[in-house]
Amino acid sequence: MSAVGFTRLCKAYRHKPALDGLDLQVESESFTVLCGPPKSGKSVLFRLLVGLEKPDAGTITVAGRDITALPPAARPIGYVPQSFALYPHFSVYDNIAYALSLTGTPRDEIARRVDRAAGILSIGHLLKKTPDQLSGGEKQRTALARGLLKDAQLFVLDDPLVGLDYKLRERLMDELKALRQELKATFLYATSDSLEALTMAQSLVVLDGGRVVQHDDAVALYHAPRHVRSLELVGFPRANILQGTAANGIVTAGPLRFASPLSGLQGPITLGFRPEALRRGHGRGLDGRGRVRLVENLGGELVVYLETEGASLVMGYPATEAAPAFDGEIAFTLDPADILLFDAGTGALLAAEPVEA
Amino acid sequence: MAEILIDRVTKRFGTFTAVKDLEIRFADGEVACLLGPSGCGKTTLMRMIAGLETPTSGRILFGNRDVTALSTSRRNVGMVFQYPVMYPTLSVEENIALPMRQDRGISAAERDRRVAEMLDVLDMRDQRGRFIDELDAGNRQKVAVGRAVARGSDIVLFDEPTTNVEVNAKLQLIRAIKTVIQRTRQTIVYVTHDQTEAMTLADRIALMDSGDISQYDRPDQLYSRPMTEFGGWFLGNPGMNFVPATVANGTLAAAVLAEPIRLAQAVPPGVPIKLGIRPEWLDMYGEPRPGTVAGVLSDQTIGIAGRYLTKVSFGGVDVKIKTAGRPPAALGQTVHVKPQIDRILLYAGGNRITG
Repeated sequence: MSAVGFTRLCKAYRHKPALDGLDLQVESESFTVLCGPPKSGKSVLFRLLVGLEKPDAGTITVAGRDITALPPAARPIGYVPQSFALYPHFSVYDNIAYALSLTGTPRDEIARRVDRAAGILSIGHLLKKTPDQLSGGEKQRTALARGLLKDAQLFVLDDPLVGLDYKLRERLMDELKALRQELKATFLYATSDSLEALTMAQSLVVLDGGRVVQHDDAVALYHAPRHVRSLELVGFPRANILQGTAANGIVTAGPLRFASPLSGLQGPITLGFRPEALRRGHGRGLDGRGRVRLVENLGGELVVYLETEGASLVMGYPATEAAPAFDGEIAFTLDPADILLFDAGTGALLAAEPVEA
Repeated sequence: MAEILIDRVTKRFGTFTAVKDLEIRFADGEVACLLGPSGCGKTTLMRMIAGLETPTSGRILFGNRDVTALSTSRRNVGMVFQYPVMYPTLSVEENIALPMRQDRGISAAERDRRVAEMLDVLDMRDQRGRFIDELDAGNRQKVAVGRAVARGSDIVLFDEPTTNVEVNAKLQLIRAIKTVIQRTRQTIVYVTHDQTEAMTLADRIALMDSGDISQYDRPDQLYSRPMTEFGGWFLGNPGMNFVPATVANGTLAAAVLAEPIRLAQAVPPGVPIKLGIRPEWLDMYGEPRPGTVAGVLSDQTIGIAGRYLTKVSFGGVDVKIKTAGRPPAALGQTVHVKPQIDRILLYAGGNRITG
């Protein structure tokens, strides 16, 4: 049984569909990350799931039970919203414990659970403080603790680490993953950070235009995107995506020109490839030259931004290889087999099957 | 001469010591980044160099000139802030020219030449006539960079200039800053909390921790040979692994070592030793080989540029390892790991103890 099921879910605002018959089954005890460009429906989906809004049509189930008509408080879901408000006159402890104290949970049981959540989030020493004595990151961790305290098998986290220091995020990512395993719960998680998405997810859901365009194991999705959004939103540095044209068996886009791997292609086409597919040197099939606009040094990896005739390209490789000179010109090479072709209109992957005549 | 000498400077705010008895020399014409988490003292140090704060004790010298008691305006430094201070009623060009108008040493012709050059370097020639409030945050900040640099002061200070700029514009801005600082011979002190920015821009990075400088070094040295555990942890995506180690009879044993390695030097007795190793300094195989240790592959995700970021458990010790391709075994299966012995660093009490 899936932990959460959305069936033909629709929601429109002023006749504009935000969710357009969305279907999604989230596997039990998975860490599932939702990715999507702004306005793809991520936040709407979360608001419908926790009951802050009602769908126009469709059903939502949690652990097999239809919860579409339940009021928010009756839904068995722990929720960490993106924008959170703490009660300013309550201590950190009372902020975390408040919702639980309303349910009539015994006081020592509350204390035990608050201590545990505070320990995981390293805010045990702050429990007596009030929110105005906390830094931004400490407030955020307090809100996370509050959401994670609920006695639920399903937790919904809407970009909970956004804006935190990189190093704090790195640690909390590890801890949230470990926490999910410990709770044996399902985490449904949204983030706008593509590296965070890959680091956290067992399973990835890519949304576009109010629908799911791909739902797959994270590693599998990275290697086999079936929609241009999957390539664009998943992976760091960002994938190279170019607009091109196909004519008479030849695909042309910016500095690239190669024989179409698919027969019958004609007209505008979107193509993309990963930064690691682009290498320095020549001889992999498609060669070119570019001017180095910037070399970002990540310590273990280098990210090179290139300017070529009519296109900006990104390459990424381990820092054991030499860094090119800033503003210098370098040769690059690309294997055409690493280039993915997408329908310029729908964004769907154009598969290698023979195209119908 | 515009080297900057920080001579035993301390800064206290009430009972809080923001900067602790620092001694550091920023070389003439170099780009120094002050890097560290919030609250490490980097901004306070920069503000003291600018004259916006006065040290509680110690001296600040520009070359041979003691500037400790001088006001900001008499120090002759250019500054770029998080939020650019601009004149919205002036054009891009006029904003860049403004500080030079107040300098009698710069002729009108020279001023025009410098403005034109700066517009070129910033790639903003076609926006020269636009007003500041017509620009996005990234371009506004580029103008602030141009204005701070063009007047030709010996020293230019940058205080987290990319903080309020969105990702794509940020790359343009960093490129502009890189272009500008490569052409100028000014001494630059650049404050940031972003390790990538520091590694990308700096000749040398001063890594700061709790009011102290943990290491002042070239970026590649700071990354590959951190002096402190803090440095190993702070730099890198993710940071360095620290594995508990034991020392006996001049050799060192740890969960990632197939056999103890001989120590080149004595280590302090009674202090816990940790072995520091970055995730890309371990090689992983599907079959045992000389020097490998068996562990269980407990996590695998895709990391930067398609490399796998894995976690391998050796008994109770978890180690993060980057692999170029797909790990040679499935999750939960045994893998064989060999650390690159010559890169291993040893730490005791938070500090590096190997050469």
